[in-house]
Amino acid sequence: MNRHHAFANGHAANKKRDDDGYRPYSDRADLENKYIWGMHDLVEDEKPEAAFGRRFEPRKKALHSRSRLIRLGLMALGTIALIIYFIFPSALQGSLLSSADTSLEQSDIETLRYYDLTDAQGSSVGWHREERVLLCTPLRDAAPHLPMFFAHLRNFTYPHRLIDLAFLVSDSKDNTEELLSQMLEAQQADPDPSQHYGEISVIHKDFGQAVSQDFESRHGFAAQASRRKLMARARNWLLSAALRPYHSWVYWRDADVETCPYTVIEDLMRHDKDITVPNIWRPLPDWLGGEQPYDLNSWQESETAMALAETLDEDAVIVEGYAEYATWRPHLAYLRDPYGDPDVEMELDGVGGVSILAKARVFRAGVHFPAFSFERHAETEGFGKMARRMGFSVIGLPHYTVWHLYEPSVDDIRHMEEMEAEKREREKQEKENAAVAKKIQDEFRPVNSQWEEDKQAIAGEAEEANSQSDAKEETRKNEGMKKTDIRQGDGTEELSAKDDGDTAAEGEKVKDKKKSNKAGAKKPKVAAEPREDEDDE
Amino acid sequence: MAYFDMRQKRSGNRTTFLGVLLGVVFIYFIYSIRTAPAGTSDPSLRSQSALVAENPLSPPTSGFRKQQKVEGSDAVLPPPPVVHYQLNNLTASAFPALNNEKILILTPLARFYPEYWSNLVALNYPHQHISLGFITPKTKEGNAATAALQEAIRKTQSGPQGQRFQSVTILRQDFDPPITSQDEKERHKMENQKERRASMARARNSLLFTTIGPHTSWVLWLDSDIIETPPTLIQDLASHDKAIIVPNCYQRYIDDKGQEGVRPYDYNSWRDSDIAQEMASQMGPDEILLEGYAEMPTYRTLMAMSAKVGADRDERRLMPLDGVGGTALLVKAEVHRDGAMFPPFPFYHLIETEGFAKMAKRLHFDAFGLPDYFVYHYNE
Repeated sequence: MNRHHAFANGHAANKKRDDDGYRPYSDRADLENKYIWGMHDLVEDEKPEAAFGRRFEPRKKALHSRSRLIRLGLMALGTIALIIYFIFPSALQGSLLSSADTSLEQSDIETLRYYDLTDAQGSSVGWHREERVLLCTPLRDAAPHLPMFFAHLRNFTYPHRLIDLAFLVSDSKDNTEELLSQMLEAQQADPDPSQHYGEISVIHKDFGQAVSQDFESRHGFAAQASRRKLMARARNWLLSAALRPYHSWVYWRDADVETCPYTVIEDLMRHDKDITVPNIWRPLPDWLGGEQPYDLNSWQESETAMALAETLDEDAVIVEGYAEYATWRPHLAYLRDPYGDPDVEMELDGVGGVSILAKARVFRAGVHFPAFSFERHAETEGFGKMARRMGFSVIGLPHYTVWHLYEPSVDDIRHMEEMEAEKREREKQEKENAAVAKKIQDEFRPVNSQWEEDKQAIAGEAEEANSQSDAKEETRKNEGMKKTDIRQGDGTEELSAKDDGDTAAEGEKVKDKKKSNKAGAKKPKVAAEPREDEDDE
Repeated sequence: MAYFDMRQKRSGNRTTFLGVLLGVVFIYFIYSIRTAPAGTSDPSLRSQSALVAENPLSPPTSGFRKQQKVEGSDAVLPPPPVVHYQLNNLTASAFPALNNEKILILTPLARFYPEYWSNLVALNYPHQHISLGFITPKTKEGNAATAALQEAIRKTQSGPQGQRFQSVTILRQDFDPPITSQDEKERHKMENQKERRASMARARNSLLFTTIGPHTSWVLWLDSDIIETPPTLIQDLASHDKAIIVPNCYQRYIDDKGQEGVRPYDYNSWRDSDIAQEMASQMGPDEILLEGYAEMPTYRTLMAMSAKVGADRDERRLMPLDGVGGTALLVKAEVHRDGAMFPPFPFYHLIETEGFAKMAKRLHFDAFGLPDYFVYHYNE
């Protein structure tokens, strides 16, 4: 009996022989094989496995249900935690979130910045090359000018996102600070994304100026040197805090510019010079001539001024536009021709600060606004001088004009008050004259025409009288009596009464009118007519 | 343990648990992304984020949050916020660490010395108040120095929290240095000095005016070849509460007999003499006075020569100066903000750091030196 299980179905009868080539151990008995390979249970093969019978019964009921319970519990816990987490995020924030957040923050912070300054040289077509411009504006008690300044800001055609704004608010006693931040927030929240500016820094620093900002003290000669030095400090603080390695251009702009081309940044940039300034004028009231050069700080050096500088003390500051220092310098402002080519350039040595476009590399090289007497000049004039000293090009555009706000000086204000008083006086006079004339007209009847008519009437009557009876004459007398009665009444009656003269010749009519006068019903109507006639005359 | 039991084991416990866990983590992740900006409303975080700006346009003296790249080109980022800086509250006092005053360390870098970096990292002023600024020329040497520097920065800034600096800025110079060789002899030739120092002054100014931020209280100028300073350098210099203060710069060397010694290195810190004044008055407007050259005896009082050794030595001894060297130089930020810079042109016949001292004097700031307080220069 073949007890080998492989032969039971007969299929494997020839197996050994068939697989000879492939199975090196096939000559061994299966039992042997199974022994070798550790399949020791061959004999028990056909026995039903104990587990088979209980196949569908849960093997370890207690444990199974426990694990399910645990699973269910965990899921429930997780869901509850999530629900709590979403509904009351604050409940978990203290423990869970903050730790996670700080770790997130640490990995999220970049501390290294790398800049190649050759990328920020500044070119004539900065807006094509995405060159960033820093717009610097020093402010002091400038709240009244801010709305005007922001109107200019909105209108700049240079891409706003490429412009970074920097303001220095110093020693302001009005609400400059609040108004400024309010207007800046509004600007950045503008629905039009092209209105948004780049980085905006507002720097608060008080320098403790004793000099006040009104026109007279600002422009008085004595205060100039110390005032200019303080202004220079303010400008330097602003620039040093706001200039970044990625800036290609710096545009200095005062808040009190009234009229300025929207394209001013591009227009100045196009010249591709290191420092470019436009001509600054200001409009004037008509009685002062309509317009006037404003910024006299843009000039070319002259021999006289050089000689003058030699004679001065080390700390003295030459200020332009004052009779005390006659420098005979050619000023940019005086060279303006309203119809001239706006692209004409002029080399300068000193510049004014109302509107300066400079390449950032000028400031990077160290040129600043000297807060000391640099070659006898300070602030923007010293800035121009220092830039020239370092070999930078400084130009002005004599026929490209930016209009500064006109702030009347004390003299002007006095003059204007005088003019105002004069005007008021004149107006009063005129009014009085008119009143008198009217009074005259109202109170005294113009009788010239009346006299003419009366004359004619008298002439006519005289003729009539010759041919008429005495009886009629008597009625006329009565009439005259009544007329005077009426005249003692109001003006309208008077007028209507005087009308009678016209028709005096026609007795019938006159009587009718008399009646109506007495009745008073038609009075106003009648009164109006002759008056119009009179006016026409 | 029937080996042929092919039924899947009922291991659902673990799978479900993992699934739930993953789900929770995922939902939490989504949620945390959504609420990340809101998280900063926590006051404790806000104080921390005051030092961290929202965008890379911010002052280089603070780190900034990396900006998420927004998909699509027309996606508009919200405009940068309006930032107010209260410079009235800025102090530069004798105890800078107590007032959390920010220090900006500026280094014009020509060569990178690992000793310089390790000395810098060893400074024990709180590193979260220190910002670094470097400017390197765009030459082959400068490139190598920049690469080495970046490697060092990467290591430090990803290292332990206490070692990390608040921020680091690297600038590449936008003009070529006049002499390509940094060779010691070539560098110190007198005729090359004016040009070299003018270029150096420009580099210093470029670095200064672009990195000085609205938070900076002090600026420490530290040359890239200063390899040894006391770790308390900043606190020690600041404790004198002077607008400009300079330690004495020496150099360690090995003399002919093979013995270690020190010798003075930086001669640019001096007190003026009548002879030097006289010489200056006879010079043309573009000529400069230089120190440490036999051809030009100025008879100035050099701080390098005023050092005392032995019992006399007093680290806190001060001497007023008219010219300063830039190897190590601590300046109150207001001096620079008022406009004192390193003139790249002859300013009263002085240039670079010496001209800086003069300009500061014109702005009514005085310079002082510490003749007995040493920092050491690299020996080539």
